[in-house]
Amino acid sequence: MTGNSYNIDVWGLVVALAMVAAAAVISELMRINIGKTLMWSACRALLQLCAMGFVVGYVIRANNVWLVFAVIAVMLVAAVQITLSRAKGVPKGLAGPVLLSLTITMLLMIALVTELVVRPHPWYAPQLVVPLTGMLLGNTVSALAVGLSRFYESMDERRDEIDTMLALGASAWEAARPSIVSSIRLGLLPTTATLASCGIVTIPGMMAGQVIAGGDPINAAKYQFVVFAAIAALTLVADSLIMAMVYRTCFTADDQYKPAMER
Amino acid sequence: MGVESFTFSATGMSCVVPSPDGDREIFRDVGFSIDGGEIADLVGPSGSGKSSLLTAFARLNPHAHGTLTLDGRDSGGFTPQRWRRSVAYLPQKPILPGATVADAIRLPWTLAVRDDGEDAAMRTASTARSTKTPHGLAWFFRTNDRRARDLLPDSRIRETLDAMGCEDIDLSRPPHDLSGGQAARVSLARTLLTNPKVLLADEVDAGLDDDNAEKVASIMARAAADGMAIVRIRHRPPDGRANRIATLADGMLTMREALR
Repeated sequence: MTGNSYNIDVWGLVVALAMVAAAAVISELMRINIGKTLMWSACRALLQLCAMGFVVGYVIRANNVWLVFAVIAVMLVAAVQITLSRAKGVPKGLAGPVLLSLTITMLLMIALVTELVVRPHPWYAPQLVVPLTGMLLGNTVSALAVGLSRFYESMDERRDEIDTMLALGASAWEAARPSIVSSIRLGLLPTTATLASCGIVTIPGMMAGQVIAGGDPINAAKYQFVVFAAIAALTLVADSLIMAMVYRTCFTADDQYKPAMER
Repeated sequence: MGVESFTFSATGMSCVVPSPDGDREIFRDVGFSIDGGEIADLVGPSGSGKSSLLTAFARLNPHAHGTLTLDGRDSGGFTPQRWRRSVAYLPQKPILPGATVADAIRLPWTLAVRDDGEDAAMRTASTARSTKTPHGLAWFFRTNDRRARDLLPDSRIRETLDAMGCEDIDLSRPPHDLSGGQAARVSLARTLLTNPKVLLADEVDAGLDDDNAEKVASIMARAAADGMAIVRIRHRPPDGRANRIATLADGMLTMREALR
C-alpha cells in the first residue's frame, strides 16, 4: 500500500481482546450469560481473520490463476453450507441450486466488476478478485438465506390460497408468484437500506479500510460504489435464480401443492 | 351404460395417504359418474374421505389415482390447468385475496389458462380486448389486472351477483368485511362465473345459517338447470335438490336415487 498506513502490533490485538474480555466479565456480572460465547467468538474471529490474512497474502504473492480459483471454489462451498444452515424450514437437496446460483452470480461479478470496470493486470489479480468475491458472497449468502426461509414460510402460510388458486386453474408458477415476489423483496431489503444510508450514517467497511490503509478517499468512494452497485444487482440475480430453481419443490409433477413434510 | 355417455366419470379411484405409522387407505376402486344438469350429493361420516374424493376428481389430490374422463376424453389429454378449468373444485373455506370483492372475483381471469378467451363470461365481455399480454420476462410477473378488468368489468359482476340473489354484497368493499355467508356466496359466484362443466362443491354451506344455506343451494340449482354437473358434499338434511345421493363409508361408494 502506498501512503501512510499505521500498523497494529501484537499489543494492539491484546488490547482488543482485553476489551472483549472486559465486556464478557461485565455481562457475567449482569447475568446476561453471554460472556463465554462472546469470548469464544472473539478468539475464533481473531484466528479466522489471521488465517484469512495469511491465505490471501500467500495467494497474492503466488499470483497464480489456479490458486485464485481454488480459493474461490473453497469460498463457494463454504457459502453453500452457510446458506443452507442459516435458511430455516427449507427442504433437503437444495445444495445444487444454491451452488449454481452462487457460481453464476460470482462469475458475473468477476466478468463485470473485475474485467469491465477495474481491468487489472493480470486479469485474475488476486488482491482484487479474492476480496471482491468474499464481499459479494457474504451479501448473497444472507440474501439467499433470508429469501429461501421467507419463500417456504410464505408457501406454508398461503396454503389455502394456493389450493384455491390451483383449483381455479392457476399454474404452479402463478400460485407461487406472490411468495416469490415477497421473498425476493425481503432478501433485497438490507441491500437497498445500505445503499440509501451509506455515506450519511455509515462509512462502509471497504471504504473505511482503504482510507485507513492510506488510500485516496475519493478513489475509495468510487470502489465502494462499484462494489455496492454490483452487490445490489447481483443479489437480485442470485435470489431470482434460486427462486426459479426451487419453487417447483412445493408442487408435484401434476401441479398439486406439496405440504412441507413431503418436500 | 358406457362411460362415454356421461359428462364426467371416474373409475378405479384409490387414495392412500402416507403417515408415520404406515400408509392409510382412504378409499379404493371407487367409481362415480354424473351428467350435465344433475346434482349429486356426496354424504358420509366425517373422515370418510369425501373431500379427498372431490379433490381427486379435480386432479388436486397428490395421493389419489384413477381414471377420469370428461365428455369421453381421458384426463391425461388435458393439462392440469385445463382440466381444473372444466372440473372446478370449490373449497369449503372461502379464500378471497385482493383489495376488493371485485378483485377477488376477478382472480380466475388473471390466470394464463384463461388467456385464450374460451369462457362464456369472457365471450360476452371481450369487446374491450385492447390490453396486450407482455412478453419475455415481464410475462412471468404480469398481474393481468387490467386484462381481467376488461374481461370481467364490475358491471357484469354486479349483474351476475344480483341474478344470484346477492344484492347485499358491495363489490368495492375489502373481502375481509364480508360475513361468513356472504364470503361463501362470493366464493361460489367466482367459480360459477368461470362456467365449469363440473362443479365440485365441498361443504360450501357448512357454518352458514339456514337462510344463507338456502341461498347457496338455490344458486347451485340454477347453475345445474343451465347444464352444469354439480357434486355437493353436505352434512345438512337433504334439501330435495339432488338427483342422486352417493354415500362414502369405509372406503366404498354407494349410490342411490334421491327422493324428490
